[in-house]
Amino acid sequence: MSVLKFTPKQFDDFVLAMLKTGRPVMAPQAKNGRFAFEPLASPADLRLDYDVTILPPKKYVLPQVEKLLEFEVRGPCRSVQEAQPMILLGVHPYDLVAILQMDELFRQGQYDKHYMDRRCQITLIALDVVTPSANVFASSMGTAAVSSGYDILLTILKDGSILADAATAKGQELIRLAGSAAPASEADLKARKAVWEHNNAVLNKHILLCKPSLLPKILEQSYNHPVWEEKARLCYSCGSCNQVCPTCYCFDVQDRVNWDLKTGYRFRCWDGCLLENFATVAGNHNFRKDRAARYRHRLYRKGKYVPEKIGGQIACVGCGRCISACTAKIANPVEVYNRLLQDTKLG
Amino acid sequence: MSKPRVAIFDFACCEGCQLQIVNLEEEILDLIQVVDVVEWREAMSEQSHDYDIAIVEGSITRHEDELRLEVIRSRCKILIALGACATIGGVNKMKNNFDLNDVKECVYGKDAKMPHLNTDMTKAVDEVVPVDAYIHGCPIDRKEFGTVIRALLLGKRPPIPDYPVCVECKAKENICRYEYNEICLGPIIRAGCGARCPSSNFRCFGCRGYVDHPNVEAAKEVMDKYGLTVEDLKQKMILFGSKQGHTL
Repeated sequence: MSVLKFTPKQFDDFVLAMLKTGRPVMAPQAKNGRFAFEPLASPADLRLDYDVTILPPKKYVLPQVEKLLEFEVRGPCRSVQEAQPMILLGVHPYDLVAILQMDELFRQGQYDKHYMDRRCQITLIALDVVTPSANVFASSMGTAAVSSGYDILLTILKDGSILADAATAKGQELIRLAGSAAPASEADLKARKAVWEHNNAVLNKHILLCKPSLLPKILEQSYNHPVWEEKARLCYSCGSCNQVCPTCYCFDVQDRVNWDLKTGYRFRCWDGCLLENFATVAGNHNFRKDRAARYRHRLYRKGKYVPEKIGGQIACVGCGRCISACTAKIANPVEVYNRLLQDTKLG
Repeated sequence: MSKPRVAIFDFACCEGCQLQIVNLEEEILDLIQVVDVVEWREAMSEQSHDYDIAIVEGSITRHEDELRLEVIRSRCKILIALGACATIGGVNKMKNNFDLNDVKECVYGKDAKMPHLNTDMTKAVDEVVPVDAYIHGCPIDRKEFGTVIRALLLGKRPPIPDYPVCVECKAKENICRYEYNEICLGPIIRAGCGARCPSSNFRCFGCRGYVDHPNVEAAKEVMDKYGLTVEDLKQKMILFGSKQGHTL
């Protein structure tokens, strides 16, 4: 299907049509002077001009708390699937890259049915960034624009018109609700390309001084670098950097019993490798006791472990949320990676 | 198998945490399906010396209270500290920062010398006797109360968070209080409350006590980054974080 061009009014009608499907539409809206993905009630609340949301849209693909099964104590259990169809509207390219990476991680090896069932029911509408956030560095990470992975991609042009590119059957099915939008012209497509080129250059408030693909090699030589201790000295181990990170997917699994003490349920909830007891195992052994070891782990995971596991994209997409969320102001990955780069001999 | 016998006792406190148990309302019926409550001054007249689990609310401020607590400890198999006064000494511990005679005169005026007002430094329950489980908060969270009791009844370790309030605060997409240049104790205080105060536009007051290893040194240095001082921080920490003796 060709790319469609909406006037703002036509687009509002399209959003209304989405709302009328009865499927929840999660979209960026104003919240306490910032932005957050929340259930959308009206097109008037939609903020396609948002800079960045407080939490990434991962909260809809991997909920903060998700029931997995119900059990009888010392008896049988049964899997619980709570996922419902959902439209996820207005996902920035860097957040989309993060979701695609999570898809791969939950698909590989032990196929995670809870995650995949939820994910498959989401129609994902991406949106090219209109307003760069204060700490974004997606340009440095190669995630400022995307060419695949979405069901629909929206691009807002200078004149306020909105281009919509439905790339999948799910996307095309949804865009049929849009009614009478005109196809985009050659000039419109050229303008869209200009938006991508612009974003590839300007979403760069912190500049990584090397290609991200070099990070695994740099980290290979940096395990005992003094930067880990220096930064971690101020680390609260509060996991804020993990919480707001679109590529952090670690979870804890816990059981709760009901008052009858005979039945209960198992759920998973977000965990974070910066938290003191993230690596505590049976017998109360904690194999990552030091703040510095935990601090290092996060940046190794982003820059080395995950890309080596799944290949390709570094597990930092440059959203800059950790930089803003860290109370102690020690979380900036670019600052650390640049410092390591300086001290690394690349042969 | 007979149901475990539970007794609920109070020491120096406002009894608001017991009130949260009363406030379980219909859920109390679930509670008494699995335990026999044999003493609970706030809610019933009966008393008993025979119980398996003692739930102790309040801080310990007098010698005779220490003796009473020791007797309770000797009679129970499991002792649960209920609420901030019991778990960390609570706001009662603020008085430890002052000369106790001044405190008594300030509070009781001409009656300050009455024998029953002869109080000592405030102690948390575990500064007097061993405690097996903690239900934190001022007041406690009713849901957490149920979770802890059920875990203990099954012989499991209660799942009490050991990470800071920031985890729950960030999950709710609150704006960090530091971004308003306010001191918030969230980064060093134990979560489990669902970041109740920051979610209502207040700072964290610290009622659940410190995480196991709070980075207080970081907390001090971070003050600088927000145009605040260590003195400002200490002023906030004494409300729930006072020690034996002077904190400031």
